[in-house]
Amino acid sequence: MVVAALCLSLALAVQDAPSAAPQSRPTAIVVDKLLTADADNHVYSPGMIVLEDGKIAYVGAPKELEDDALVVRMEGWAVPGFVDLHTHIHSGGFGDVNDMVHSVNPELRAGSALRPGNRLIQLAVAGGVTTLFGIPGSGTNISGFGVLYKAKPLDGYAASVVADPGGMKVAQDSNPQGRAGNFAFGNNRASMGWQIEKICDRALGATREGRLDPALQSLQRVMSGELPVIIHTAGSEGVINTARMWKTKYDTRCMISHGSFDGWKAAPAIAALGVPVNHGPRTMDFYSSRNGRINGSAAEFVAAGVLTFSLNTDSSVMPQEEFFLQASMSARLGADPYQMLRALTIHPAQTFGIDDRVGSLEVGKDADVVVFSGDPIDPRSRVLRVWVDGNVQYEFERGRQRF
Amino acid sequence: MLAGNSSSAPRYAVPGLALACAFTCAATGSAWAGDGVAIDAAKALVCAADGPQAIDGARLLIEDGRIKAIGPAAEVAVPEGFEHIDLGPQWIMPGMIDLHSHISGAFDINDTVFQVNPGLRVSATLRPDMRAMQVALASGVTTVLYIPGSGSNVGGAGVLHHTSPGNYEEIIVRDPGSLKVAQGDNPARWGYGMGRLMMNYHIRFTMRQGKAYAERWTAYESGESDEPQRKLNLDIFRPLLAGETQISTHTQYYQVILASLRLLRAETGFDMYIDHGSFDSWKLGGVAKDLGVAAILGPREVMFPRPPRFDTDGRAEGSAWGFQQMGVELIGFNTDAPVVPQHELSVQAAMGVRYGLDDAQMASVRGLTIVPAMVAGIDDRLGSLEVGKQADVLVVTGHPADPRTSVERVYVRGEVVYDTEQEPRRW
Repeated sequence: MVVAALCLSLALAVQDAPSAAPQSRPTAIVVDKLLTADADNHVYSPGMIVLEDGKIAYVGAPKELEDDALVVRMEGWAVPGFVDLHTHIHSGGFGDVNDMVHSVNPELRAGSALRPGNRLIQLAVAGGVTTLFGIPGSGTNISGFGVLYKAKPLDGYAASVVADPGGMKVAQDSNPQGRAGNFAFGNNRASMGWQIEKICDRALGATREGRLDPALQSLQRVMSGELPVIIHTAGSEGVINTARMWKTKYDTRCMISHGSFDGWKAAPAIAALGVPVNHGPRTMDFYSSRNGRINGSAAEFVAAGVLTFSLNTDSSVMPQEEFFLQASMSARLGADPYQMLRALTIHPAQTFGIDDRVGSLEVGKDADVVVFSGDPIDPRSRVLRVWVDGNVQYEFERGRQRF
Repeated sequence: MLAGNSSSAPRYAVPGLALACAFTCAATGSAWAGDGVAIDAAKALVCAADGPQAIDGARLLIEDGRIKAIGPAAEVAVPEGFEHIDLGPQWIMPGMIDLHSHISGAFDINDTVFQVNPGLRVSATLRPDMRAMQVALASGVTTVLYIPGSGSNVGGAGVLHHTSPGNYEEIIVRDPGSLKVAQGDNPARWGYGMGRLMMNYHIRFTMRQGKAYAERWTAYESGESDEPQRKLNLDIFRPLLAGETQISTHTQYYQVILASLRLLRAETGFDMYIDHGSFDSWKLGGVAKDLGVAAILGPREVMFPRPPRFDTDGRAEGSAWGFQQMGVELIGFNTDAPVVPQHELSVQAAMGVRYGLDDAQMASVRGLTIVPAMVAGIDDRLGSLEVGKQADVLVVTGHPADPRTSVERVYVRGEVVYDTEQEPRRW
C-alpha cells in the first residue's frame, strides 16, 4: 500500500516535472527583449543570455556560439528571477509561522518548517519568483529567524536553502500588540519597544562579555551587522520609531517592511538615514486621505529619495505568484514602471546583501532567469519558462499549467 | 461640477441658446447642450454586441448626449459647428459598468431583521456625493449596480445609477436595478444553526410566492381576474416576471451555484445572473449556459489550492477561464466594492486574462462594458460606442486591462464629468 502510494507520487512528480537534470552543456536563451536590471538598466532587443554551470556566462546581443550550446529561442521578454523578502509560504500554508508562547523569540528558526516542493512554492516559481525570504509571522515582537531559499520545487532542501538563518524578523506595530506571549494583556507600543531593546542589550552584553547563550547567538549576529533584520512596521510614527531604534541606536542592517498606511510620510527621514524600504502588501494609502484621493505610497517612497526600495507580497496575504502585480499597481498609482521592476529584482537583492548572486542578469551571477510572453508587469503576460540556478523549474508548455 | 466649464466652452455658438439648453437639460438629466463634438482617437474600442470590436484611427461624433456617428476618421466627416478634439495617441472606449457595488451610500445596506426582505429598496440610502463614487468615476466606472449586502437571503432591490455628479434623478439609470439574492456563506450567519437547506427552502418559498403574486397581477391586467390585494413586499416580482429587471445572485461553490440555477432560474423562469461565481463555480458553466445564465465574476476570481475544502491538484484556477471553457459567452467582472476598490474594476479583467481567459476577441474589455450592459438589460443605451447610444465615453492612454493605463477624461451623457486637465488626479 505504502509502496503503491509512493509509486503514484513518483509518477505524478515525473509527469509534472519539466527537467531537473543539471545542464551539462551551456544553454543560450534568445528572446525578443532582455531587461538586465543592472546598474545602467541595460536593455537588449533582441537579447541573448548564456547559462553555464548554474551561472550566467554571457548577457547581451545575440552572438555566434560554440557548437555544443543548447539554443532556446522564445518569443518573449527575459528578466531576472524575482526576489521577495517578506513571505510566509515556506511551510505550504499558514502553519508553523507563529510560535507565540513568549513575546520575544530570538532563538526560533523558520528553516525547520520549510517544505521545498510545497504547492505554494510551485505557484511562486510559476509566477517568476525565484528567491524568497521565508519568515515567521508578526504575532510576537521578535518571532525568530527566517530562511533564505530558492524556489526549486524539483530539488530538495539542501539545494533550495541559500542561508539559514538568513536574517531576523521583528514586528513592532499592530499585530503583536496585546496578543502574544507572557505580556499579552495590555501590551502596547511602549512596552513592546522596551522588551525589544532589553533583549538586544542582553545580546550586546553577551558579545561584550564573551558569554555563551544559545538563545542569543543568532541575535548577536544581527547586532554585529552580520545578519539583516526585517521589521514589520507601519504608519508614519511606527516607521520612524523603527528606524530610530534599529539604525540610529543599534546601527543594524535593518529594513522597513510594510511601511503601509501613511508610512510614506516618514519617507524623507528614512531616506536621510539610508534605511531600505520593503513595501507591501498594500501599496496605496486611502487611510490618511482627507479629500478622497488615493495616494500611491510606492511612488511617494521613491519620490522622497528612498534609494533601495523593494516590494513584497507578505504571501499568502497576497498570493505569491502575484508579486509582479505589486509593481503593476504601484505603477498604476504613479510610480515609474522600470523602477518598480527593479523593486522586484535588484533592489531586494541589494537590501539583503545578496546582489552578488541574484537580482540582475549579469555575468557571474546565479542563472535565475524568467521569460515572460511580454512585459513582465502587465498581468496579461504569462510566465513561459523559469530557470533557477541554471535548471528549468517551470515550463508553461509542458505538463499541466499551474495557472 | 463642470457646469461653468460647459457654459464657457466655445462649442456654444449662441450664448442665449446655451443657457436655455442648460435649463432644459438639467431637468431631463442631461447637461449636454449646444452643437456637437467630434473626437479623433488612435483607437476606439467599440464593444458592440456583434461585429468589429475596435477601430483604428477612429472618429466619434456626439450630439445631444448621444453617439451620432462612429467610424474611421476618413469615413466620418466633422459636421459644421462641431467642436473638433484630436486625442492623438489616446484611445476611447465605453464607460465601464460594475454590477456588484456597495459604496453609493452610508453602508446601511444590510437590514437583517428578517431572513428574506424582497420589499426593501437600497435606493433610499443612495448619496450621490460619496467620495468613493468620485474615485470610481475617475477610474472610468460610469455605471454601477448598488445593491444590498449579503446578510440575508433576499436583501432587497438594488439600483442602477451613474457615478457622475448630480442629484438622484439625474444619475438614476433604473430602479429596481435588480433583486439581490444571497446564497452560501454570508447569509448563513443570519441565525444560530442556519444552514444551506433551510436557506434554500426560504428562497424557494419566496420565489414561488412572489411569482404567484406577479401572475395574479398579470391576469388582472389582461382582464382575466379581479384586482389582487396589494403586497408591498412582493411588488418587485412584477417587473421580474415581466423581464424588466433581474435577480443578481451572491452565489459561489459548485453546490450553491447549482441551487441558484435551480431555484432562481429553472423553477421560476426569472432573468438571473451569477454575481461572484468564485472557487469551483465554473464547473457548472455548462448548466448555466444551457439556462442562459451569465457569470459576473469577482471579487475573487481565482481558486487557490487549499485542500481539503476543495478537491485540487495544486493548480490555481481562474473563474473567467473556467466559465469560458464551459462555453459561457456572457462573462463580466465586478469588484463587490469596497471588497475590491472600485477603481480596480479593470484590474479584475486583467487578472481574468492572467488566469487563462482567452482575450483574442477582447473578452476582457467586453466583460467591463457590453457584457454587464446586456446582462442588466441596459444595452439599448449603454455598454458600447454605437450610434444612438448614450455618450458615456472614456479617454484612456491604452488598453484598459493594463493597470498602467490611466483614464484621462470621462464623458457621461456627452458631458465631461472628469478631466485630468481640469483638476488633480483622484488616484
